[in-house]
Amino acid sequence: MKMIVFEEVDKSFGGRKVLRNLSAVCCGGQITSVVGPNGCGKSTFLKLAGHFMLPDSGRVTIKEEDMVLQGEELRMSLAYMSPELRFYPRLTALENLSFFLGLRGIALDGRQYEEVLERVGILPEAVKRTRVGEFSTGMRQRLLFCVMLASKADIWLLDEPGANLDDEGRAMVLREIKRGASEQKLILLATNDSRERGAADEAIDLSGN
Amino acid sequence: MKPSTFQGIKLVLRKELMTGLRFRAAWAAMLMFSFTSLVCISFALGGTSAEPKLFAALLWILLFFSSLAGSDRVFSDEEAEGTLMALRVYAPSQAVLFGKMLYEFFVLTVITVLLLPLFIVFLGVETKEILLLLCTVGAGLWGISAAGTLLSALIVGAGVRSGLFSVLMLPVILPVFLPAIRLTEAAFGGTVVSLSFFGGIVLYDMILSVAASILFDYLWYAE
Ligand SMILES: Nc1ncnc2c1ncn2[C@@H]1O[C@H](COP(=O)(O)OP(=O)(O)OP(=O)(O)O)[C@@H](O)[C@H]1O
Ligand SMILES: [Mg+2]
Repeated sequence: MKMIVFEEVDKSFGGRKVLRNLSAVCCGGQITSVVGPNGCGKSTFLKLAGHFMLPDSGRVTIKEEDMVLQGEELRMSLAYMSPELRFYPRLTALENLSFFLGLRGIALDGRQYEEVLERVGILPEAVKRTRVGEFSTGMRQRLLFCVMLASKADIWLLDEPGANLDDEGRAMVLREIKRGASEQKLILLATNDSRERGAADEAIDLSGN
Repeated sequence: MKPSTFQGIKLVLRKELMTGLRFRAAWAAMLMFSFTSLVCISFALGGTSAEPKLFAALLWILLFFSSLAGSDRVFSDEEAEGTLMALRVYAPSQAVLFGKMLYEFFVLTVITVLLLPLFIVFLGVETKEILLLLCTVGAGLWGISAAGTLLSALIVGAGVRSGLFSVLMLPVILPVFLPAIRLTEAAFGGTVVSLSFFGGIVLYDMILSVAASILFDYLWYAE
């Protein structure tokens, strides 16, 4: 089981402290929500957790049993999505899918594609012909989710996964997150959505910072 | 789970080819630059027969500036489109670095293949040693693509404006540039030079590639 440990982490941007002396532990098999008002540092917290950013002081470590995961080994075991993340607009959805999954050493056959696309609510025909640039924002969000599900990553860093989704899409996100947790994935969920907050087992509240 | 490095490189290279072919602006910029410059040079020289030394220098200046017109985009385009983060999440570092480097090499090769015959015909250059010329150009382009890919990554990583790219590129590539001009001069029938110049370029290319490979891990995984 994997664990993310924050030890006395400080992070500031241009002299303004966003995270101050923050310690936290997130465990596999649990949904940990990261909550607080706009600009309080939720997205920053997730980027630090994924080692996409370094803290100014303190330490962020990801452990499996007593082993510390780093570099490529760590990166290959996590998935991250945020509203800033984009797939290649000039490639079709299918080309994007097979590119990003291929980089994780995963090749799906036709049936497996259909299955995972159905889980996120995208029509298989749309995937073959349509370039991602022509997708609606909600469809793009579903596609990000689709790659994350199929990537078999066991750490999910989700920054507002319900953004731009309709009710059915938000229900799908909740369903898949719960299913992920039951498969022992470590799930971090930065959100302002009350239903997503309600699904979490633990919460990290950044509003006091 | 992880694909072999070779497979990763192949995937990134294929992705670059597909997006590159569907987005022709980068190509157009480089081609326009190299052909316009070539036409200007040939008008300026106006059929006067110049020294092989001058032709050699002109050829490399052309190749260098054509590459500048395109290779600072290697990473900055991805950054601008927001796809760099997706790549950082899913792709292993070495696959990205060498996939992009190979694509850069491919683009420069295509441009050279179009430019070099025209250069030779327009300027009436006599090519005495074709093989030497081709090997020199190949080794030179390798250096330019290695340096260009690494610098582009460093600059995007540091979050500075891309004007810095051209400023840094010249000193980094000079150890390739100078011997390449001497060798090209020899290929155009000038003074014969020692082949150790060629060995020097290849050695520097290898050092650049290895340094890029090591540095890029730090950039990619931010550790
Ligand atoms: N790369 C950056 N450069 C400068 N400042 C940044 C950067 N990233 C974040 N910040 C600042 O850090 C603070 C926290 O940003 P962050 O994106 O983590 O907030 P958030 O909690 O995710 O907000 P939201 O709910 O709007 O998504 C903000 O004030 C923001 O301006
Ligand atoms: Mg945010």
